[in-house]
Amino acid sequence: MEEDEFPIGLKILVVDDDETCLFILERMLQSLKYQVTKCRGAEEALCILREDKGKFDIVISDVHMPTMEEGFKLLETVGLEMKLPVIMMSSDDNHETMKKGIIHGACDYLVKPFQRTALRLIWQHVVRNRRNMVALAAAVAEPKSCVLVEDDDDDDLVASPAKKRRRLVWTAQLHHQFVTAVNQLGHKSTYYECFTN
Amino acid sequence: MDKNQRQVRLMRQSLFDQGFLDEQFIQLEELQDDANPNFVEEIATSYYQDSSRSLQTIELALEKTPHDFNKLDGYMHQFKGSSSSIGAKKVKAECQQFREYCKAGNGEGCMRTFQALKREHATLKKRLEAYFQMARQAGPIETACRPK
Repeated sequence: MEEDEFPIGLKILVVDDDETCLFILERMLQSLKYQVTKCRGAEEALCILREDKGKFDIVISDVHMPTMEEGFKLLETVGLEMKLPVIMMSSDDNHETMKKGIIHGACDYLVKPFQRTALRLIWQHVVRNRRNMVALAAAVAEPKSCVLVEDDDDDDLVASPAKKRRRLVWTAQLHHQFVTAVNQLGHKSTYYECFTN
Repeated sequence: MDKNQRQVRLMRQSLFDQGFLDEQFIQLEELQDDANPNFVEEIATSYYQDSSRSLQTIELALEKTPHDFNKLDGYMHQFKGSSSSIGAKKVKAECQQFREYCKAGNGEGCMRTFQALKREHATLKKRLEAYFQMARQAGPIETACRPK
């Protein structure tokens, strides 16, 4: 897809237990040339997502469906299982709720009611997410991308073919990739645990 | 512009001037086009179907004492969300008031506000029905007056 055509046809799953809000959001997104699938709750959303993991680019979900627990559970599950970016939305503009959303891995939090213009640039979250996933895959799959140093000389940080026992040095580049990935996946994700163990 | 179209325009303007509708209603109007020519009326219909059911649920919950203010607040949060999505300004204000009484644990206040809420909800419904009916008779005119 050409760069300037990128946002067109982006596939979005919209989740909200309020039918009126669902219709309005669908129409707003369609007017921006996105492809929209609607559903009424977390359970239905997960069924749809699991049916075809590659089908969607991004999920937009309400927080209260009808309580916060459903919304945040969906957010975490989608992040872990499908590794898709999730935008949370709510008429709840309480700072604690918004913070909770971001901590649980939401890439954005929109306060309802919002204007159509608030949705125009959501494709940026898709791009960012894909880049983060590539960076994470690279960091996990390529140990040779780490700086390897000779074991007996801590002052000498020259990368060299291993003559003696190698050890891993945590470089700034690796650290940046790791932090990006963790922020994307959430602090409680199993990926984080696997990576640190 | 013929007489009917002028009438529609006046009806629409008074809905805003009298505080029944806010900016969000204009968002809905902007989403209406040739492919979706009745979008605003469809949304309003959907809202009134859902919200009437919600009002019944809240009414039943209010009849149970002692009041479960958390539950009531939860219902009203939902109701406020969908009311604000169609730009129902006065309805939204009553929802906010109700939630404040919930937080204060004020059952009397909740019940009083709920009556006011039902009145506003019903009044807006009548006004919108009249407006949509007149708009259908008058034929399509440019409704969104705010410059883009």
